[in-house]
Amino acid sequence: MINNTMNKLTKILLLLVVVGVFAGCAGSQQKSAASPDPIEPANRVFYDFNEGLDKHLIKPIAEGYVKITPEPIRNSVTNFFDNLAYLNVILNSFLQGKFDQGFSDAGRFIMNSTLGIAGLFDVATPAGMPRHNEDVGQTLATWGVGRGTYLYLPVQGPDTARNLPNIATKLALNPLTYISGAILFPITALNVINIRANLLDATNIRDEAAVDPYSFTREAYLQQREYLIHDGNPPTEGYDDIFDEEFGADSDEDSVLIIE
Amino acid sequence: MEKMIYRQFRAIVVAIILLATSSNSIAAEMNIDYAAASEVVTALHEKLMYIMQHSDELRYQGRYNEVKDTVNSSFDASLIAKVIMSRYWKKLDDTQKIDFIALFKRLSVATYASRFDGYSGESFVEMSAEMLKKGRLLIKTELQRTDDDPVKLDYLMHQKEGQWLIISVIANGVNDLSLKRAEYATVIKDKGFPGLVEDVAAKITDMENQDEE
Repeated sequence: MINNTMNKLTKILLLLVVVGVFAGCAGSQQKSAASPDPIEPANRVFYDFNEGLDKHLIKPIAEGYVKITPEPIRNSVTNFFDNLAYLNVILNSFLQGKFDQGFSDAGRFIMNSTLGIAGLFDVATPAGMPRHNEDVGQTLATWGVGRGTYLYLPVQGPDTARNLPNIATKLALNPLTYISGAILFPITALNVINIRANLLDATNIRDEAAVDPYSFTREAYLQQREYLIHDGNPPTEGYDDIFDEEFGADSDEDSVLIIE
Repeated sequence: MEKMIYRQFRAIVVAIILLATSSNSIAAEMNIDYAAASEVVTALHEKLMYIMQHSDELRYQGRYNEVKDTVNSSFDASLIAKVIMSRYWKKLDDTQKIDFIALFKRLSVATYASRFDGYSGESFVEMSAEMLKKGRLLIKTELQRTDDDPVKLDYLMHQKEGQWLIISVIANGVNDLSLKRAEYATVIKDKGFPGLVEDVAAKITDMENQDEE
């Protein structure tokens, strides 16, 4: 059983690495292309599908889960799944050459898996080993690979071609992947509901603010990715380029009206 | 030979003095500009703290009234509206432009009144400042929270008629101006400018009504 799963995973991994890297490279060459979303019609189909699934099934369950589950328990559920997914973070910290961070991440995983009772409690953060956010997409970005096409994937949501191989490493490095039998379904369902519950505030803000939620999600996701790639300190160069574009501030000052 | 070395030495000394003087004057200029710009951000933050701490008694309308003048005087709404509308701006007549700027100002005030609706120990802290090109300034701040990671709030500012004004807010790397530009372009393409005005007005109404629920 395990061997079969491993074989399947290896094939998926190889396929995604090839697709992702090529799409990423293509993206690098097309960096100046005008459209941020060349496959928007297809993306919108999946977006509508996900929104329907979310509205009628996942979001109501997630809201119910928040209502009946005390916050400390939800925090422990989040800690548990985050810890299981953390091997992927450790790998990518090292692949990006962040060795101090990588050792800290490895220490964090060991400490939370043991003293933190299988990851239910985050005892590593107070001990000076904070949680980091790394994945294959960020690693490839630091290696100079371009972003590639923006994708909106069924169930998973927004992504980029460069980050596709992360689906495979995330699966391959998560111990849950190697569990089989009746327990797998409830565990996976709990993970999905808990992830959705943690996103309720963000999606409520989006729904409150956005006049076009699809574009809002795309722009916010792509900018947030840049922020993560630079570990929260993106270069300020180009920050204000938007004001220097053809219809920006300095090209046509006269047409800016001043009203009080 | 000694004369040549002396000349070279003198040239280096003069260069260092010149460099030091010019960088001092840049620093001095930066300090003056920075203080005035920083005051604008601080005043906005103080007002936001006030509405957060008094959110229950003020309710939405009270928060809106409290924050309105500060938001209107801190942001360069006419420039922001123009950049957001991008290539569509020139297609609007003067009345449409004036109406849209007024609508955008209402949206900005409503968003602050709606979003800053409670207080649980948060505080605003100014972290650093950086001069950008064309005399623009970036002020980096954090909204620090007791039970969560801080939210990084970067304010992009420029000077208009001697007054520092905010032209963009970037929250944890996400620039509100870019989001709106992408969204509004899509809505204009689908429904035209009147459709956009209708949608934005509906968002403001939703925020007003949310307090009544």
